[in-house]
Amino acid sequence: MTEEVILQTENLTKRFGTLEVLKGISATVYRQEILSIIGPSGGGKSTLLRCLNLLEQPTSGKIFFHGRELPAKKSEICRFRQKIGMVFQNFNVFPNLTVLENITLAPVLEKKVPKEQAQREALALLARVGLSDKAEEYPRRLSGGQKQRLAIVRALAMEPEVMLFDEPTSALDPEMVKEVLSVIEDVAKSGMTVVIVTHEMAFARRISDRVLFLADGLIQEEGPPEALFSAPQSRRTREFLSQVL
Amino acid sequence: MEKIWKLCLSYGDVFLSGLLGTLWLAAITVAAGTVLGVLVAALRMSRFRPAQAVTRVYVEILRGTPILLQLYFFWIGLPKLLPFDLSDTACVVTALVVNSSAYISEVIRAGIGAVDKGQWGAARSLGLTELHMLQRIILPQAVRNILPALGNQFINMVKETSLASVFFVGELMTSYKIVQSATFLALQPLIVVGAVYLLLDYVLSWAVSGMERRLAACD
Repeated sequence: MTEEVILQTENLTKRFGTLEVLKGISATVYRQEILSIIGPSGGGKSTLLRCLNLLEQPTSGKIFFHGRELPAKKSEICRFRQKIGMVFQNFNVFPNLTVLENITLAPVLEKKVPKEQAQREALALLARVGLSDKAEEYPRRLSGGQKQRLAIVRALAMEPEVMLFDEPTSALDPEMVKEVLSVIEDVAKSGMTVVIVTHEMAFARRISDRVLFLADGLIQEEGPPEALFSAPQSRRTREFLSQVL
Repeated sequence: MEKIWKLCLSYGDVFLSGLLGTLWLAAITVAAGTVLGVLVAALRMSRFRPAQAVTRVYVEILRGTPILLQLYFFWIGLPKLLPFDLSDTACVVTALVVNSSAYISEVIRAGIGAVDKGQWGAARSLGLTELHMLQRIILPQAVRNILPALGNQFINMVKETSLASVFFVGELMTSYKIVQSATFLALQPLIVVGAVYLLLDYVLSWAVSGMERRLAACD
């Protein structure tokens, strides 16, 4: 973790109709840190994450990337998103493309990487997550854990500066959680900046540099994992932790 | 029964040209209706509010009024609107195309709507442009939902084109009228024509469900 701020939100709010999901979030993501976001379901964790790459348009507030306020122009949003990888709860791999095509699609189309080079790099990534033999398969032949590993390397292939993980293990069968967590840990240790929304408390505690507890649309508490998990300051955090730990 | 066989033998060519007329009408209606339907669906799903409103009204009117009424409307109205002469066939085809474009635009809209929302998010999160996302991710998946529904639309059109006989445009029902007035037999030619429709739709249904199976297999 460095002192360099890579992503920052300022008083971010998000409303869906009359439901106010985020009520003013000011958060900072530092370069190469592992930031975990924990909290009860419906507390706004996923919405916050989806605002960070503008999959959701915030109702008000600002987002800064390397100190520059995020643009509103469509072409610039695409270029910005290329620098922010995202992994979803439901994998969202592309069923109409092979495993290899899933990975090479965006680099070839949007970064104009030559196809052969993209394929070489994709195969290297697949080897890294133990999916080399699946390159030519379609995703329907993969298990949940394999799909999620594919989704992770698909995002990595764009060589993003930040990786967002939105409950990456919540939809997995229990026996597949470990293989995915170990890939995430591998990504984190490679020096990537990681923001992860998770219910895996032990994992968050072990790998995070910082933990952010989000409930009722507000950051209730943030700090190093040891402090937050063993000596939570806010009553809301204590209540939550006593229920999940 | 004997009379039916005799009819088939002596008026076979009339029924056959009627069958070809029906197939031709249905095919051109679905083909041109698809082109127009894509356009309508695109406008309906665009972010441009007035286009949404106009296409919505367009679809509602065409789905909410009888097709026979629409055929009359185009048959009477179109020649008055256009500076050049239009054949009855052209008016009827235009009406059928416009009518089916409304249904097809809804088929396309539903087909795209049925693509998992997560696919849009995933494509955008990779930084794909909207055009690339539609071309490479959304539409290829939507086509699987759309193709069988288009096949069913074709089957419907085969039956709906029978209304063209009101304007004596060459198709199966018109063949019936020709044979009926030539032979003064009412029921028998109707049975022949009915059997042809039934057989035709049976074959088409079989083809569509075969297509559905194949599309499902590669999922």
